[in-house]
Amino acid sequence: MSSVESGGDGGKWLDAHYDPVAGLFTFSSCVDLADLSGDGESRLVVGDMGSGSSGMKLKVYRGTALMSESTLLDLPAGLVAFFMDLHEPRIPAVAVASGPCIYVYKNLRPYFKFTLPGLEVNTLEQDVWQQVREGQIDPLTLKEMLESIRKMADVPLSVRSLRFLSLDTDDMDEFVQLHKQQPIRRQTVITCIGTLKKSTADEDGVSCLVIGTESSDVFVLDPEAFIILSKMTLPAPPTMMDVTGQFDVEFRITVACRNGNIYILRRESDKPKYCIELSCHPVGLVRVGKNVVVGCTDESLQGFTQKGKKLWKAVLPAPITTMAAMDLPTRGFQAVLVGLANCEVQLYRDKNLLSSIKTPEVVASICFGRYGREDGTLIMTTKEGGLIVNILKRTAAFDDRDSAPGPPLAQSIRLNVPKKTKLYVDQTLRERESGLAMHRAFQMDLSRLRLAAAKAYVKALESSLTPMSSSLSEPLKMNAVVQGLGPSFKLTLNVQNTAACRPVMNLVISFLYDESLYRMRNPYMRIPLLVPGLIYPVETFVECNSDKGISDIIKVFVLHEGKSSPLLTAHINMPVSEGLTLN
Amino acid sequence: MEVTMDPLFLAWSYSRRRKLQQCSDICTKILQDNSYDQAAWSLKTRALTEMVYIDEVEVDQEGIAEMMLDESSIAQVARPGTSLRLPGTSQAGGPTPAVRPMTQSGRPITGFVRPSTQSGRPGTMEQAIKTPRTASTARPVTSASGRFIRLGTASMLTNPEGPFINLSRLNLAKYSQKPNLSRTLFEYIFHHENDVKNALDLAAQATEHAQFRDWWWKVQLGKCYYRLGLYRESEKQFRSALNHQEVVDTYLYLAKVYQRMDQPITALSLFKQGLDHFPGEVTLLTGIARIHEEMNNISSATEYYKDVLKQDNTHVEAIACIGSNHFYTDQPEIALRFYRRLLQMGVYNCQLYNNLGLCCFYAQQYDMTLSSFERAMALVANDEEQADVWYNIGHVAVGIGDLTLAYQCFKLALACNNDHAEAYNNLAVLELRKGRIEQSKALLQTAASLAPHMYEPHFNLSILSEKIGDLQSSYTAAQKSEDSFPEHVDTQQLLKQLRQHFAVL
Repeated sequence: MSSVESGGDGGKWLDAHYDPVAGLFTFSSCVDLADLSGDGESRLVVGDMGSGSSGMKLKVYRGTALMSESTLLDLPAGLVAFFMDLHEPRIPAVAVASGPCIYVYKNLRPYFKFTLPGLEVNTLEQDVWQQVREGQIDPLTLKEMLESIRKMADVPLSVRSLRFLSLDTDDMDEFVQLHKQQPIRRQTVITCIGTLKKSTADEDGVSCLVIGTESSDVFVLDPEAFIILSKMTLPAPPTMMDVTGQFDVEFRITVACRNGNIYILRRESDKPKYCIELSCHPVGLVRVGKNVVVGCTDESLQGFTQKGKKLWKAVLPAPITTMAAMDLPTRGFQAVLVGLANCEVQLYRDKNLLSSIKTPEVVASICFGRYGREDGTLIMTTKEGGLIVNILKRTAAFDDRDSAPGPPLAQSIRLNVPKKTKLYVDQTLRERESGLAMHRAFQMDLSRLRLAAAKAYVKALESSLTPMSSSLSEPLKMNAVVQGLGPSFKLTLNVQNTAACRPVMNLVISFLYDESLYRMRNPYMRIPLLVPGLIYPVETFVECNSDKGISDIIKVFVLHEGKSSPLLTAHINMPVSEGLTLN
Repeated sequence: MEVTMDPLFLAWSYSRRRKLQQCSDICTKILQDNSYDQAAWSLKTRALTEMVYIDEVEVDQEGIAEMMLDESSIAQVARPGTSLRLPGTSQAGGPTPAVRPMTQSGRPITGFVRPSTQSGRPGTMEQAIKTPRTASTARPVTSASGRFIRLGTASMLTNPEGPFINLSRLNLAKYSQKPNLSRTLFEYIFHHENDVKNALDLAAQATEHAQFRDWWWKVQLGKCYYRLGLYRESEKQFRSALNHQEVVDTYLYLAKVYQRMDQPITALSLFKQGLDHFPGEVTLLTGIARIHEEMNNISSATEYYKDVLKQDNTHVEAIACIGSNHFYTDQPEIALRFYRRLLQMGVYNCQLYNNLGLCCFYAQQYDMTLSSFERAMALVANDEEQADVWYNIGHVAVGIGDLTLAYQCFKLALACNNDHAEAYNNLAVLELRKGRIEQSKALLQTAASLAPHMYEPHFNLSILSEKIGDLQSSYTAAQKSEDSFPEHVDTQQLLKQLRQHFAVL
């Protein structure tokens, strides 16, 4: 690896590798580091999402090079490396959760596939499909019956029935013929996966798999026999989890759920012990020591105790894209890495920002740990599929920059207030001396002006000069836009009914213009029924007949059918026609 | 016996007294008697040219073709401070749109209306073909057509019996050999007939005859190239003319070429070079000030306008620009001084009284405020001006808390000018205070569609939608407001609040 000094964050990190076109599309839950060949060198194992519909791959990196890749059948939901037996040499297996299955790879070869037990199927639904198989009911009846079952039953329908309900009538027959022979199954899918040490806390002790499912269950699997050791139920589907402890002694599973709550499960009970109710959805969950750090959608990072007591909250500069723990056991250092949407990765210990790394792109996944032979390696993949590897310098020291109390910075910035001029002072003197006269003059002018304004206003109202009518029966508003260079102009009148809930009907538009100068395609138009709140564009074309470069006003009237006085008037100052003279 | 004056002398005298029509009539008579009288012919040509002459060095408006179909620009995003097309990058000390209103292109409103200050560069074709509110005509298709064609037709109207010189039958080569006739003929062709192609032919032959040593012909060639849109060629001609003879006009023409090529920095250095040769030249100083103003560097623009005033203390543009700058930097009492100076100089129009009224109001000289507006009202020339006066009275009414009067004034402003976006916006705020939400919303939508460059309607619409619980509309409106005024703190706060709303469970 070639190492380049990184200047961005006080030289704490070395930029080891950056490949912007690595083509790795993944999230933090599908990235892990493990010594897959037992030679003391850690590899990077990535469950690559591909394009989202195809090209899902399990990729293994060694150093800067791609070592192996094998195709995955479905989108990976999670990936962990774990020790499943006590054989020597100690080589971990890789478990990839996708759909309802866990695929276990050993020595990078498929080794075992575990499928979640099926869920209970609605008996009514089963009966209906049985009848279909016997040819007693046709697809349309089936559809009706399934719909009624869907509305009433406590047990939801199977995927097959739901798919059937969404089909068009034409495709139903074919679908039924294709599927009616198979029995109905209802499967759930895995949403998250974790590992839990079985009986010893050793680094290379045998671990159980902990999986969360869409059916709101958490299972603990035996690593050798792949049987379910324990099943726990949550109030909502889990999305992220963190596991600590040993299965045989005492453990703690922290689960963030889709209802915005975080539940803490313990060994004794199959129901959550504690619950943390967040104010907004969690996007990242990381355990640091005994505390839980949660990143939320409101651009904040929050710390909680094991028992769900809130400790602190830090506001971040941008939305969180991903989070990961940074654990350096040799130095006893634990912190949280937070990937932000403004192309930064920030390092927090409690609520204090320790360091910030600028990345060339937005980071989608973060993984920190031993890579190759280097203990403190930070591996990030970006939204565009790039791969970034940074190495923590051995001399790097992180010290808490605790936010010192004191006045905020903005307090010392001087405002640019213009000085009051001497002229101003003179004027205030004048005001002080002849205040009475000024006030009288102003009041007199004001009364006169009020009268003038009221007169003009009444005149405008009487002749409906304004482009909006405030009458209670037809509150309308109109504005006109002229487009074009001439001699042909497009005239768009935007008519809007501003009443709260009453439509307006029977309106017409007519125009008044100099007929020697303009020709209008349709000088009389009906307006459709006006629904309140919507803008109705009424368009017409105007031709200018003159080439003398003169223009005139076109008056637009909105009238009620059968009445001669207009509701609205708009004056359109026509632009000068350019076109005729151009030839 | 009456002694008659020599008709040619009489015509010459008329011409000097700028009674051009009489001059031309007498020349026509002389030419009827003797159609080979070169002096009369030349004088008539000059008279006809003078009738329609406009100052070529003044700023002119860019046409739609130059703006929208400009394919020669390579870097679409110029570095800040190097282009006239990116006005958003305001230098330190520039006013914000909250203090000083903006034009459609995002430049602060100036104190003196020039063609290029009216609407700036439109962002879309739709904006380009819409008639801007501040101009009473649509934008010309190209600058080579618009105004000059109109002037051309005006000259056609004055000569109903046909053109004086039939250009198609003219032997340009013969005339180019005669220096005494060729110059007036060129100006006639260029200004009166607007036939740039023939003018270019004549100029090219004449400059050849002068063995490329005559700076005047080079300047004329440059003018022709400029009209034809061949800016590089015209730059070459002007540069070469400057090598022969330093003339202020040539500097101005060349700077105009650079401005059209969107190289304001080059134009500025050229003006400064010109100032070395002609220290204190007012037109050069004004040119510098205008460029600074167009680049949003208002403080330097004001400095240069002050320099202009030191040389020429009756310069209307400088006084008006400094005045408006003082007004918008919270010193209305000084602005008042400048506008009063304009009044003393004999500028007597509606706009000036309008400004005086506003300055008086904000400088707390209440006794003069309303009388100024009354004068302005008496002086209005068209509906737009009347709308502006009513709009400003409406502002005063809001200031003294008389909302009924304000409501009436804004409505009257709209009755006079249906496209007054600011009045729509203010009326919407008043309607909202009355609790008429639907009306207010409709008015704000209209204001936003009429003036997409204003942030106020978007911001108000955002607040209104937020109050009635339509957070999605509020968010989109707030984003539009942010686009037109990124530094607006209230918009930022509203956006932050909305984002929090969306994030919370």
